[in-house]
Amino acid sequence: MAEERLTNASRVTRHALRLSVREPDFVAKVEELSGENLYACYQCGKCAAGCLFADHMDFLPNQVLRLVQLSDEAVLSSRAPWVCASCLACQVRCPKGVDIAKVMEALRLLSLRKGETGLLWREIPPGVPQIALVGATRKLTP
Amino acid sequence: MRAASTSGPESRITDNGSRITGNGSRIPYFPGCALKDQAWAFEESARAAMERLGYELAELPRWNCCGTVYSLATDDLMRHLGPVRNLVRVQELGETRLVTLCAMCYNTLARSARFVEADPERLERINAFMDEEEDFRGGVEVLHLLQLLRDEIGFEAIEAKVKRPLSGLKVAPYYGCMLLRPREVGIDAPDSPGVLEALLSALGAEPVDFPQKAECCGAYQTVSNPEIARERVQGIVSAARRAGAELIATSCPLCQFNLETHQVMTNGDQARHPSPVTRHGIPVLYFTQLLALALGVPEDKLGFAGLRFDPRLLLSERELV
Repeated sequence: MAEERLTNASRVTRHALRLSVREPDFVAKVEELSGENLYACYQCGKCAAGCLFADHMDFLPNQVLRLVQLSDEAVLSSRAPWVCASCLACQVRCPKGVDIAKVMEALRLLSLRKGETGLLWREIPPGVPQIALVGATRKLTP
Repeated sequence: MRAASTSGPESRITDNGSRITGNGSRIPYFPGCALKDQAWAFEESARAAMERLGYELAELPRWNCCGTVYSLATDDLMRHLGPVRNLVRVQELGETRLVTLCAMCYNTLARSARFVEADPERLERINAFMDEEEDFRGGVEVLHLLQLLRDEIGFEAIEAKVKRPLSGLKVAPYYGCMLLRPREVGIDAPDSPGVLEALLSALGAEPVDFPQKAECCGAYQTVSNPEIARERVQGIVSAARRAGAELIATSCPLCQFNLETHQVMTNGDQARHPSPVTRHGIPVLYFTQLLALALGVPEDKLGFAGLRFDPRLLLSERELV
């Protein structure tokens, strides 16, 4: 994971604005779904620093935001939004008031609304209470 | 279950919160699914404790699911129907407040109440959709029990009613996420809360400070990525242990489940951070169990037997049970 993140980091910092991978309304779609101003982010990295799940992410939360700003739809195949538990640690710490959890939700929804799922049923451990099941299915399934 | 239509504003305690009336403040109360199932001890201990404080938690008639997780999308009005229907139930009683115990229910209901009230158009669309219900007019305040204890009853008044001080009991208050974040509905400072500590101190216990008290336990990732939840919980529990905690107190049934379950290693039943007292793991209680215990509620109403790590050995050593 650490190596993958290093590769991804250089990919984000040296991102080429290749028009071929850009979909003009991708940013607008994410902004509309999340209700957030994505260009407010100035990449301070406070969200990633405090994210309790960043260890398990291929792209860090600030990198996810950067990729969306750059309109790179590759971010839709990132693992990060599916690892995010909407704990809102980033939301209360963002100095620019960007609710990153809402951006993660928007990215999940863009996949979920195409019928994709982020939850494999065979993985459900026994004895899990219903609030966990309902929470997971509402967040991770279409 | 009876409609709580009798408690008008005159029967409530108002303003300074340092005084408690002896007879009967009734407040509509939303239990949620977990409290009717694995977290039954949370409800039972809260009701018993509140009775001692002169309150009746009157279960909301015809309540339904709170929605469990708040929808973070702008266009997902449908996800607010569940919470709003519950708020309509409160309105039908002629009441303006709803108290919750489960931190997840609190968060979802409180956020949805704010969400629909922030925009008349949203509210109108939701009301038009729920045409079998009376229109929700807004003005229902969703409270967490800790707010009621702190802001209305007051910790000094609670301290005065303590029958069995929890002297010397080292308790790690664990807030998790949903009581604190986002700020608009948080009952305390998101990064440095103190309400549980203040309550525990009033009960005579010794609150233990540890940096992970407001960190996420992994929440519903316990379903999709249990190894992540395990990693989170073991970090939280070992920090609490290192700080000297003998018990962990929480307000969220999902945190309680995760903190109990993921303390245990996958291979076998040996806890990674065994407590010297219980030898199995550190007991994870609902704060209401400690509140009720301190207020003198009999042990059989506290639901200790339902916990994975039974705190009674520890509590009997301290002559508390």
